Amino acid sequence: MDNEVTLASVAKSEWIKFRTVRSTIMGTVVLIVLTIGLGVLVTALVRAHFHTMPLSQKLTFDPLSTSLVGLFFAQFAVGVIGSLFITSEYTSGAIRTTLAAVPNRMQLSMAKLVVLVTSMFVICEVVCVAAFLIGMAIFSGVVPTDSLGSGPVLRAVLLAGVNLTLLAVFGYALGLIFRQSLACISVFVTLLLIAPLIGLAFPQSWQNDFMKYEPINLGSSMMSVVTKANTFGPWEAFAVLALYMVALLALGVTLLQRRDA
Amino acid sequence: MLQIDHLTKRYSSTLAIDDLSFDVKPGVVTGFLGPNGSGKSTTMRIILGLDHPTKGRAIVNGKSYGELKDPLREVGALLDAKSVHPGRTARNHLRALAASNKIKKSRVDEVLEFVGITSVADKKVGDYSLGMSQRLGIAAALLGDPGILLFDEPVNGLDPEGIRWIRDFFRSLANEGRTVFVSSHLMSEMAVSADQIIVIGRGRFITQGSIDDLTATANGTVFVRASDIKRLGAAITAKNGTIHEENEQGLTVGALTSDEVGQIAFDAGVTVLELTPQRASLEDVFMGLTADAVEFGGGTFESTTHG
Repeated sequence: MDNEVTLASVAKSEWIKFRTVRSTIMGTVVLIVLTIGLGVLVTALVRAHFHTMPLSQKLTFDPLSTSLVGLFFAQFAVGVIGSLFITSEYTSGAIRTTLAAVPNRMQLSMAKLVVLVTSMFVICEVVCVAAFLIGMAIFSGVVPTDSLGSGPVLRAVLLAGVNLTLLAVFGYALGLIFRQSLACISVFVTLLLIAPLIGLAFPQSWQNDFMKYEPINLGSSMMSVVTKANTFGPWEAFAVLALYMVALLALGVTLLQRRDA
Repeated sequence: MLQIDHLTKRYSSTLAIDDLSFDVKPGVVTGFLGPNGSGKSTTMRIILGLDHPTKGRAIVNGKSYGELKDPLREVGALLDAKSVHPGRTARNHLRALAASNKIKKSRVDEVLEFVGITSVADKKVGDYSLGMSQRLGIAAALLGDPGILLFDEPVNGLDPEGIRWIRDFFRSLANEGRTVFVSSHLMSEMAVSADQIIVIGRGRFITQGSIDDLTATANGTVFVRASDIKRLGAAITAKNGTIHEENEQGLTVGALTSDEVGQIAFDAGVTVLELTPQRASLEDVFMGLTADAVEFGGGTFESTTHG
């Protein structure tokens, strides 16, 4: 049937919704300002003080991770964008209008996912590449630099964008589960920041075995050029983080289908 | 065509809808009447597939809502006018809705024009008055030019002019052969806007019919003014009549016809000065029908401090 509601038509609708609210725009501005702004600030400071660094620090200096330092904060911005994409529908009651137009809840949640992943992937990749290139431009001549021409560096920069995209999905999945922004953001911050602190209370051998599974460590594994002891390689880290998201999404979509709107 | 088939909805401890069945036919305005908390909104939400019934089902054009391929072309609904993201403009809200059901963009401008909010279509919905939000909700309901329309308490927040507009609007939708299903807790509103009325209370079906059918089922009273009210009152009571009200003007008598009251007065030797049969008011009928079914009735107050 020609007029049938399809994944594509719902995605088109969700794309209109996604770009016509201030939270998305503001979240994206915060994302850009934090990633690029902090990157510029830190790389400029490093450039100014590089000559005072001890030789040992100079030898192990990692230009890539220094240029992407703003990502630590940017991950909260994408988490908020992802969760608000669904929680704002619940707080405003718009979810009823949405579900009356698109009764197939699997279709709705997947269309939202497509819109979120596509738009966040594009934005985050651009932001990460920009932060890296700007950082290298600032370092140039004074501080050693990395180049996207190097395979591992290119992989790390691109996976940094993928990591942010997955964290936006994290926020979205939490939104499907909790349906309100505050709960989502609390859980997001807890899992990302507080869980690693609790991990520190465990014996060293446990830490070695388990801390690599923490989302924040998976993220740093993904955007690292060197594989450290007791961590995953970048692609393994990506696979584990993606698996987390699939599991959380499965729970979120199941709840969406079961619950009254 | 809308069919409610043995619908039951239980929320953890409360039974919101209890084995409710009725049909809503096209071509007429059907009022859905019940006190607040009687299950009207829950029924509407189940029709739209928003809430899952505990038992039974709601059938829209022979299917459950979830089976509709392009729902906005079959059913248009205005549940809560504020069910819109407050930060989005009316035009963008309607565009997004239209896109999901592959409705062409030009239709958005048509419905905005029809409900008269074109001039504010690019303002954020959060700044709208309730009346403007209602109009936006109606625009959204009309987007797919559907054959079935549901409105939950649509006159709330409308000014008298808006109320009149919406009544005429319901009428014209029904005249076009559409199914129009409108809920309200106000009998007087239903009396002027609905052809058929379905009455529910505490989630249960009470009765169904036209306004005339409903008022006919309720027993009217007889007002009588007479030369000796005391004597007449005693005679009426003796003949199993009930005195609803007694004052110096006259008596309001129930359970007897005006013919019977006249005969009683004649037999008692009382001169009748006025004898008027009184039709039960719509509100009386409604109160009578739903008296046992008011969720939060005003109970009698008892002192808890005595002793």
